[in-house]
Amino acid sequence: MTISYLKFPVFLLFFAASFCFAQIDTSEDFHFLERTENIKINLKKGEFNIVKSIHEKAEYLTANKLYFANETLRFDSFTKLEDIEATTYLPSTGKTIKVDYIETKHEFDDGIFYSDQQTKNFTFPAVTKGAITDLKYKEVITEPHFLGLFRFGTYAPTKKAVLRIEFPKNLQIGYKEFNTENITVNFNKEETKNSNIYTWTTENVAKYSGEDDAEAALYYLPHIILHIKNYEEKGKTIPVLSNVTDLYSWYASLAKQVDENDLQKVYKIAEDIAKKYDSDFEKAEAIYNWVQENITYVAFEDGLGGFIPRGAASVCNNRYGDCKDMANLLYVMLNRVGIPSFRTWIGTRDRPYLYDEVPTPMVDNHMITATVIDKDTIFIDGTDSYVNFGMPSSFTQTKEALIGISPDKFILKKVPVQPSEKSKAIINTTITFEDGSIKASEERVFTGYEKVDFVTDYLYKKQDNSDEEFLNTTLALGNNKTKYQNIKVSPIESKHKTLTLSFDLLIESYAKTIGSKTILNLNIDRTLSKEKIDIAKRKYGKKIDHKFEKEYTTTFVIPEGYKVTSMPKPIKYDGKAYGFSISYEEKDGKIIQSKTIYINTLRIDKEDFESWNTFVKKLIKAYKKSIIIEK
Amino acid sequence: MKAFIVTLLCLCATQAFSQEYKNYDWAEKPTLHELSEEEANESSIAILEKYMVEYMVPKFGNNIKKFETNHTIARVHDEKGIKTHNTVYISMYNVIDIVDIKARTITPDGKVTLLNKDNIKEVKNVEEYGDFKIFAIEGAVKDSEIEVLYTLEKEYSAFGRETLQKSYPIKKLEYDFIIGDLPGRVKAYNAKGEFTSKTYTNSKGKQLTLKNIVPMLEEEYATYDSNKTYIAFQCFGPETNVTDSMLWNNVVTNITDGLFPEKVNPEIAKIIESILKDQKSDDFTKAYLIDDYVKKNYTIVKNNNEQLSDIDYIIKNKSASDLGIIKVYSHLLKAANVVYMPVITADVYEHRFDAEFFNPAALREFLIYIPTTSNYILPNRIDYRLSEVPPTILGNQGIFVNDKLQYSFYKISQKDPEYSRVVRNLNISFEDDMEYVKINQEQEYYGHWAMNNRAFLNLAPDQSIKEYEDYLTGSGIEDKVIKKYEITHKDMTQLEYNKPFLVHSTITSESLLEEAGDSYIFQLGKVIGTQSELYQETERVNPIQMQYPNRYNYEIIVTIPDGYEVEGLESLIIKKELLDEEGNQKCKFESNYKLEGNKLTIIIEEFYKEFEYDITEYEGFRKVINAASDFNKAAILMNPKE
Repeated sequence: MTISYLKFPVFLLFFAASFCFAQIDTSEDFHFLERTENIKINLKKGEFNIVKSIHEKAEYLTANKLYFANETLRFDSFTKLEDIEATTYLPSTGKTIKVDYIETKHEFDDGIFYSDQQTKNFTFPAVTKGAITDLKYKEVITEPHFLGLFRFGTYAPTKKAVLRIEFPKNLQIGYKEFNTENITVNFNKEETKNSNIYTWTTENVAKYSGEDDAEAALYYLPHIILHIKNYEEKGKTIPVLSNVTDLYSWYASLAKQVDENDLQKVYKIAEDIAKKYDSDFEKAEAIYNWVQENITYVAFEDGLGGFIPRGAASVCNNRYGDCKDMANLLYVMLNRVGIPSFRTWIGTRDRPYLYDEVPTPMVDNHMITATVIDKDTIFIDGTDSYVNFGMPSSFTQTKEALIGISPDKFILKKVPVQPSEKSKAIINTTITFEDGSIKASEERVFTGYEKVDFVTDYLYKKQDNSDEEFLNTTLALGNNKTKYQNIKVSPIESKHKTLTLSFDLLIESYAKTIGSKTILNLNIDRTLSKEKIDIAKRKYGKKIDHKFEKEYTTTFVIPEGYKVTSMPKPIKYDGKAYGFSISYEEKDGKIIQSKTIYINTLRIDKEDFESWNTFVKKLIKAYKKSIIIEK
Repeated sequence: MKAFIVTLLCLCATQAFSQEYKNYDWAEKPTLHELSEEEANESSIAILEKYMVEYMVPKFGNNIKKFETNHTIARVHDEKGIKTHNTVYISMYNVIDIVDIKARTITPDGKVTLLNKDNIKEVKNVEEYGDFKIFAIEGAVKDSEIEVLYTLEKEYSAFGRETLQKSYPIKKLEYDFIIGDLPGRVKAYNAKGEFTSKTYTNSKGKQLTLKNIVPMLEEEYATYDSNKTYIAFQCFGPETNVTDSMLWNNVVTNITDGLFPEKVNPEIAKIIESILKDQKSDDFTKAYLIDDYVKKNYTIVKNNNEQLSDIDYIIKNKSASDLGIIKVYSHLLKAANVVYMPVITADVYEHRFDAEFFNPAALREFLIYIPTTSNYILPNRIDYRLSEVPPTILGNQGIFVNDKLQYSFYKISQKDPEYSRVVRNLNISFEDDMEYVKINQEQEYYGHWAMNNRAFLNLAPDQSIKEYEDYLTGSGIEDKVIKKYEITHKDMTQLEYNKPFLVHSTITSESLLEEAGDSYIFQLGKVIGTQSELYQETERVNPIQMQYPNRYNYEIIVTIPDGYEVEGLESLIIKKELLDEEGNQKCKFESNYKLEGNKLTIIIEEFYKEFEYDITEYEGFRKVINAASDFNKAAILMNPKE
């Protein structure tokens, strides 16, 4: 997921999070008095000269968050930073102190192996309560496709934010505001002899702070995206990014630069795989699985090279690549065996944009392959190693894909949301009661994204913990004294349609025996019981990664000499897009609990919070019911 | 750290031969290695990790040369294994010359792919780590072997440290420390083996060979990173006789430069009165006010700006390096007439300080000790104010320096064993015809608990502060509704010694009351919040290190509703303790109850008088820790009266 270009020009939104659109809160520690961006576009003989002049003035209202004094400005091969001037003004003494030391650095990033992004780092001197810092710098943009975005709001409250763009009259600018419904943005147009000037001004924008399980900041942060549409030269209109066609033709021109030499080896691999199968679907599936098993994801971001896939021959030899490299390799291999496939640009669910709204590289940050088999479009993502062929990667569901059909033809198509029945967990548990403890053996069969999630957690969240500890913290069955034994995990690769996890459990201090009675709750798995939303405080909708279903069959073997004296009544709840049912049955010396839970939506919107909480509360209530057995 | 680099002249140009790395190479025709079934089940395993550090005096010139060779062969079995080994980062810190970097992959079918050296990328000035050469391994598929071999010539520096234990198992490890006749020594820590003398082709030195190094387990209550296998070495110029005490003296001279000023800086002399607010006598208050002032007015900066240790620059810019900031404290404390001692040590979770083996890489934490109050200032911890030493340092050794520039080594300990404790009083009732449970709770947090709570609520981002509310009102109650939540003494600046942080809350929950026929099960244990449970499926590796000595005193009063009687109270009686040789309690969990009419009162006492326990005490310690977790499972049954 590395091909696109979204910069955080001033601060990394490391404290990303909540937005109330009210007045500035006086309990703040730090705020911006002013954040101004002045963009000036010069155009001479088709050569662009684009300079952003940035000015930020901030005030420390307390001495609690002096770490904001550490400033990081980012740049890469498409931008240059110039004329950085930074000072601290201390109203108490009237003194102004200049920043006299700026260091250029690189950062290592977990997700990206090599990036050309660098940072300019410095610390505002002498900040304390009352200090006012002032930062001015210029950002020179060398690539007219990247005008970037401007945030009216940011991680700290902003008293005044101004975006101004000055451009020659023979040039057209496009723009679109996002999430500004609840703030007032004044827009003003002026002209001078040779230029047009657009200005957007807003005041008192509250800070943004993120929430767990919420969409990315760009879904809520008020901001604007600008792009150069076209310009006129000698009576001719030269397009830049006036519509998706322009964007695509630029992408296509980059794709043309892909190295297509020495493909014989790649072709042979594709052909050797394909000849073992009859149908196109099977062939494509086998090729996809080969790429998943043989090419490892390693990401590079290096100038325009970050936009041009590496040649399929080199990826195949090196056995590594990033999203665009894998997408291109799949494109080459599939087409070779007669399956029409296309390079496809897409934004992950972190990007809230549509191509038509803002036809710019801001829309996407990822590349996949689209293929058409029996008239069905299948989206193939080489970076999601454990998803089965036929399903798109979870994080591209609902997103608009830009599918390149030929160098001058493309189509836009939405990646469909995958229905809940494709991502299932089927859980079978047998519980016995011996010597006051509960013993259980359990088998979980996962499909679709339930499988992907389990594998990803198992491989990467587990870290150096033991399997037992991993299951104890992720599944949390019974209580935290539960012992997991005989843990078995079936092969995890994408070629396997299901994944089976099995284990035995010993749960102490769980069943309650008083006199002749033993009380036992069969809901050792209390999925979703912690998902109640705090309606008073929650600001944003709750994001759900994928639709899913869970089917439980829990069999309790009634111990010799006992009879069942109380068994809960069945409970069923069907909410708007989620629900559950639990029922109990006594049969052949066993109690069989059947339980299903489903979630059929990718988001709980604010207006549905009450309904969601009703669902969770009813589920908790159902979880509370125990069986009683007596000697 | 630069202040510590001891520069020693190397005066001679005696005999010297060619470097040992020239006699070392990888196999010309590589083949895959044999692995056992167990080894083949690992995501990846290093078949060989070889280090060669060589110091030598060249034929011409008189500067000691230093070469480092690193050779790794790793088998990768799955995607995770490939990802562990297919990106290589080589630090260029102090590197004069890259003698060679090469890498290759041997696939299961015997195909060898050699790294294309054009694909090696350079990354400059990475965070605090300097420059790097990085590359991705080419041609690696499952069950391949990845082999990397490089040799670097480095600037002479007398010291080194290398962690040998990795996140993957290592079948064979070799460490060669080759110094010929140069004076030097090497020491292996936490290793199942020792260095032995070895003669090399042209030189001599010592070699450490280790077999089957398993990854360190990240156990709870453990300083597992500092318990990893590592080595440290020293090598000096020919015919020098450098002792550790010379090195420590050198450090003391270097760092104390500016830490015991003869005269207080005039800027500081001007403001000291306003900082001390007329406080004249009490050292605790004076030092506290100074600490508070510095943390509200100065910023510690981590970059290469050398001026950050210059006192005039620091005072003007209110910015300092982590050593430079000590100078500010020194001037302030001197101006306030408070006796202080700079202390140098390390984070105990990263490195165990070794007074007997000087190693500058481990001297990373600078503290100030106030002997009259036995408290510490931690200049680089904005979340701390003058107090007992925080858990990251507690238990490590440190070098303490007085104003006569004399130094001593002490174990950094806690003065007041009762410093950190939590008192809770809970009142519980059942409301609305047994629909829900209402819990009224008053809590007092002392010591590190209070410090930590204050820091969180003042410094953390909003989102985390919100989450913290859950912790402070009782964690692990999934459907909790917070009706009341009041905090007292939240401010970071608390001049009164160990003033408690108070929380008064009321919550309700339906889930604590489960149904069984006509009866109710009240999950009483859950009201004390989620308690950690120590698992021990495998044998314990690390000795126990708690964050700090601790004590909890809880009183829970439950009003049993009319028309119900309680059963199952015996689960509320728990007692587990760990005794020392004299029979004194080192740690304990004890809970008991009394029932008077419809009032059920539960008293809990839990404490840990020590923060360190020997590995042989692990089972006893675990029982006490898990006793709290047992209590957390306690439930009582409420039956309708017949």
